[in-house]
Amino acid sequence: MKILLAEDETDLARALVAVLKHSGYDIDAVENGEEAVERTRQSAYDCMIFDIMMPKLDGIEALKRIRNSGNVTPVIFLTAKSEVDDRIAGLDAGADDYLTKPFAMGELLARLRSLTRRTGSYTPTKLSFGRVSLNVEDQELVSENSIRLAGREAKLMEFLMLNPEKKLTTEEIFAHVWEDEQDKGIEIVWVYISYLKSKLEAIDADICINGNEGGSFVLTKMDVMTALS
Amino acid sequence: MCESIYGKYREVLEQIMSSFVANLHQYNKKVYEETGYKLFEHLNSRIKEEESIREKCRRKDLPENTHSALAELKDAIGVRIVFSFIDDIYKSIAYIKSLSDCRVVTEKDYIRHAKPNGYRSYHMILEMSVPYEDVNGNYPGKYYIEVQMRTIAMDSWASLEHQLKYKKSVSNQALIVDELKRCADELASCDVSMQTIRNLIRKA
Repeated sequence: MKILLAEDETDLARALVAVLKHSGYDIDAVENGEEAVERTRQSAYDCMIFDIMMPKLDGIEALKRIRNSGNVTPVIFLTAKSEVDDRIAGLDAGADDYLTKPFAMGELLARLRSLTRRTGSYTPTKLSFGRVSLNVEDQELVSENSIRLAGREAKLMEFLMLNPEKKLTTEEIFAHVWEDEQDKGIEIVWVYISYLKSKLEAIDADICINGNEGGSFVLTKMDVMTALS
Repeated sequence: MCESIYGKYREVLEQIMSSFVANLHQYNKKVYEETGYKLFEHLNSRIKEEESIREKCRRKDLPENTHSALAELKDAIGVRIVFSFIDDIYKSIAYIKSLSDCRVVTEKDYIRHAKPNGYRSYHMILEMSVPYEDVNGNYPGKYYIEVQMRTIAMDSWASLEHQLKYKKSVSNQALIVDELKRCADELASCDVSMQTIRNLIRKA
């Protein structure tokens, strides 16, 4: 599981990184809201932990921008002030939970577990990117044509469409899409990426998946030149 | 019974059809010899039934005569080729286009652009230049062949959909139409998966 931490207090940030790593999470740490927004454009996270008071861009403003881009990753706010206004603003901006400082590490970890196990319920039922849309419930992929995806293909397509234009590693994809079937070999990722590449072509999509076997993959819009060829 | 709408050209049609079909079988055999796999699964051909071509003339407001049947309508000769894999359809299209006595009049790719009901197939109308006189008095003459190419899955879907079309009233019509569409999209998905698996096997 990959976590994004945005916290400008160095000591607290260092302690959080240590504890989260120790608990088995992959963690990216940044020091302000601007960097946090930038990171969410590049990588896919399972959960994000944001401080509210941060230089450059505060946590609330950062989250608003992230939510506006269509990102639905769960977010926990950390706030020094226990004031009601702050919590309301945070939750209204799209936060899923909050903790007031000081907090017990055990409680943060429990809230992380609680939010990440409910990830599925945050996913919208219809995702779109370019001219392509995915009806998550019906597993239907639509562009010029429509096609029905098999269960695991739909899950992979959903993960890609929730994270367009981001580099997703084979390992990350495997961990997300085959989380309940880790006994499968990781080579399965390439097979399913291949299915989706062909299926996007079959519906005459204006988006494609770039990347090679074993490496990172990016769901991206085709530039006009490749679309015409 | 009145004279055939095809008049004296009936036999010529048969000959054009069988030489085109023989050419395709020959090509299929060649691919088999080179790769060990058939390019297409099977092929059907027919001269359009007397009654259905007359009906089509009436529907299109054309006089019911030989000129309409051979020069206005372009599906007196029909060939349907059924494939196991999608890529082989496009390979065959390229082959047909390379034939020197053949010009593509129209082509419709309902595989890449399926009809709203889910129908998938590749249609071409070919104009064949042949050593027989045609209905306009040209020599070499020009005759038309309609070619439909699709996978086995698309073919069985089309025959099921056909049953619906010719049934006067189906009580749960809307439901059946929706389910057929879903089924077409699932079959298309399988066709693409099988093609992808074949590519993975060949690359391995």
